[in-house]
Amino acid sequence: MTGSGFGKLSSEKLLAAAALIAISSGAVVGLSVGYVVHYSAPATRTFYLFDGTLPFSEPSFYNIPHDTFVPDTITVDKGDHVVIHYINIEDVSESHTFTMDLPYTFDATLYGNATQQGVVGTYPNVGDIVLSQGQNATITFTANWAGTFRYYCAYHQPTMTGYLVVIG
Amino acid sequence: MKFLRWSAVALLLVTGIIDLYYGNSFAGFYENLWYVMGGIYVFAAIVIAANIEPRFSQLTVFAYTLFLWSVWATVALETGIGLDAVAYADKAIEAVLAVNMVLLFRSSRASVAVLAH
Repeated sequence: MTGSGFGKLSSEKLLAAAALIAISSGAVVGLSVGYVVHYSAPATRTFYLFDGTLPFSEPSFYNIPHDTFVPDTITVDKGDHVVIHYINIEDVSESHTFTMDLPYTFDATLYGNATQQGVVGTYPNVGDIVLSQGQNATITFTANWAGTFRYYCAYHQPTMTGYLVVIG
Repeated sequence: MKFLRWSAVALLLVTGIIDLYYGNSFAGFYENLWYVMGGIYVFAAIVIAANIEPRFSQLTVFAYTLFLWSVWATVALETGIGLDAVAYADKAIEAVLAVNMVLLFRSSRASVAVLAH
């Protein structure tokens, strides 16, 4: 090895060349890894959820209209912190629930409507909350399980059903 | 030179064990890279201890140390990850290791030059 170009170079030059290559290639790799880590890290995802009504066949069985969730699909990454602002925008006196299938439960803060203002109640670790006309709720949970999970209104089945899609 | 070689081996082993601990203690893609880094450090300690191709291996270990320092610094600056007591201790030891490798490499080359004359 001493007879090669590598052997003829002085120690200082070899060390300087090695340091330069190592630091610059390390910076390139670091920036790439940082990019991957940064953009796949769990994040807080905020959604606004409303009730809607199908424009046909109303009212239906027992005078219960065909209501829906808007949006009916919420997609997040596993580990994300999910915040859903759910608003009952009914123009008639009609309640809705936000109910999730297990294993998901959530924390909810229920806010009043025109006649009952401010925080109406806080509900930690529940699977179901009822909103009267004009009320809104902030629902929070962490998407710890990957898969597709149902959220629905217990009063308006089968149409008022949405799906939480957690990408693992 | 013997002292520099064995101090390099000790520093490599300590750094390797810290990296293995770090990789083993946390879950996630980036932390698993630490696990790999630790394994390479332990392997490097064996190579330096056995004095295999010393001028090449010493330079490679020096470059590897600076490479990892550079990776850590850029990832930490970009994401804020890896800024904890374990990582600080690890990187401080790596800095000492880099200096150790410079001194070891220079003394190895000097001793070869003396032998050649």
